Amino acid sequence: MATTASISITSADLMPGSSLNITASSTLTKAGVTADLDQKESGVMKLVTGTEYRLGPLATEMAGDAHDIASYLYVHNRTTEDATYYVDWGIHETMIGRLYAGDWMFIPWSASDDGAEIEIEPQGGTNIIEYCLFNSDVILPTAAS
Amino acid sequence: MATLIPTLTLSSTDATTDLLNFSITDSLNITQDVVGPSKVKLTTSDLEIGPTSYGKSYVYLKNTDETIAINIEITDGNSAMQLAAGEFAFFPWTGVAGIVAFSASGTPYLEYAIFEA
Repeated sequence: MATTASISITSADLMPGSSLNITASSTLTKAGVTADLDQKESGVMKLVTGTEYRLGPLATEMAGDAHDIASYLYVHNRTTEDATYYVDWGIHETMIGRLYAGDWMFIPWSASDDGAEIEIEPQGGTNIIEYCLFNSDVILPTAAS
Repeated sequence: MATLIPTLTLSSTDATTDLLNFSITDSLNITQDVVGPSKVKLTTSDLEIGPTSYGKSYVYLKNTDETIAINIEITDGNSAMQLAAGEFAFFPWTGVAGIVAFSASGTPYLEYAIFEA
């Protein structure tokens, strides 16, 4: 499953006399090796205010070896409301940033332990996100008997 | 005020039978401080590249090394991500917690930029 991520960041007016044009590209692989990732999970979620959500598995829910902790996370806030609507994102209890309507993020994420989970929490009202998680083996929960 | 336009493209011919190929873009108003594209040599010791003096911002990171991984912590000691060789990240950041970078080994170079909205 060879997946490629590319980014460009441009601006014609950020720095006078010098337009900005950053480009980068990489192939998504398992940690420390060039092997492709095995799994992809994607979807659209409606996030209700007052609730913290976890995106992706916990470390203990992932099978495999040290190469399998690498994941890549893409999140886009599809909310069309005003600037009072946003989604806080963070790792465990550390809030890192806010995805306002139309914003997106892409990060490599290492599920190194259960205290490194991705948390998101909508603010201002119901937010809608689309997301895509590329990772390796995940242990499915045991069905209720 | 300046306009920053970040665009991400994800593509794969074999992730699923449904071909993956999409681009997402945004238009961001940048009105405050900017760290333009910069490149710094890291060691295994912490280096703060994003101090908490920043407010609402967008961060670009890229590991330019061909073999060595770079660790990123947001609040020192709180592991946030590991950039393998050649990998990049782009994410919104509030500046509440500082961004710290250090190498897994050796002295790789980190390319980074910070755009404060």
